[in-house]
Amino acid sequence: MRTFTSDELARYDGKDGRPAYIGYNGKVYDVSDSFLWRNGKHQALHVAGVDLTKALDSAPHGADLLDRFPVVGSLTQRANQDVQEDGK
Amino acid sequence: MAKVTREVVERAGVDVDQLLELLVKNASAEITTYYYYTILRFNLIGLAGEGIKEIAETARIEDRNHFEALLPRIYELGGNLPQDMKEFHDMSACPPAHLPADPTDVTAILKVLVEAERCAVRGYTQICNMTAGKDHRTYDLALAILNEEIEHESWFSEFLGEGPSGHFLRRGETSPFVSKFLR
Repeated sequence: MRTFTSDELARYDGKDGRPAYIGYNGKVYDVSDSFLWRNGKHQALHVAGVDLTKALDSAPHGADLLDRFPVVGSLTQRANQDVQEDGK
Repeated sequence: MAKVTREVVERAGVDVDQLLELLVKNASAEITTYYYYTILRFNLIGLAGEGIKEIAETARIEDRNHFEALLPRIYELGGNLPQDMKEFHDMSACPPAHLPADPTDVTAILKVLVEAERCAVRGYTQICNMTAGKDHRTYDLALAILNEEIEHESWFSEFLGEGPSGHFLRRGETSPFVSKFLR
């Protein structure tokens, strides 16, 4: 399975017909087909192409909803560290 | 726009443009759900479907009420609705509640209904979280709608065998929580 750096993940922002990928807990999910991720934006609050591990802590839903989407890769350790260091 | 109203909300730390986008998206979800629930309700027939038709109708009417209740707040805060209905439909905070491929499958219809309500519960919880202690009027409105969405979810959930709803259905009235915003 493919591994993604933060920069590589950022290319899949869902804009202009590009696929929409999001990171969560070391995995990369393809949310392109989701109505709720049209144009790479989710509920006015989140964008595709980033790791949303921390953001999901304050979301009104659990990580179980991600089970509906295919996993297309994993995040590199560096990408995970960036998220932890940002504390976001 | 109510200038001071918007100003005090901004000064309390709310991103008003982001809040407005959420309010418009949820207003879209309400009116599109009203439309899709009309189709679902018509198809709730037969021994299994007739028992659910009445609560689907109540949820349908209350979702339309939620749409009506949201609009004044959107305009007060300086927002507006898209000119184009199709654009408005496509920006909905929740996916379309389409009639299942087999319209005689009452359980499948119930799953569509409960998923729509769960999406709404998440959406208004988000708005409540954003506005609590900062934007009292939007919070009050979102909380009122949330109360009704939770009851809708619990009704449909009960019919899916997920456990008792914990309360009775409406007794002739609609929108016991939101009605104060409709006067």
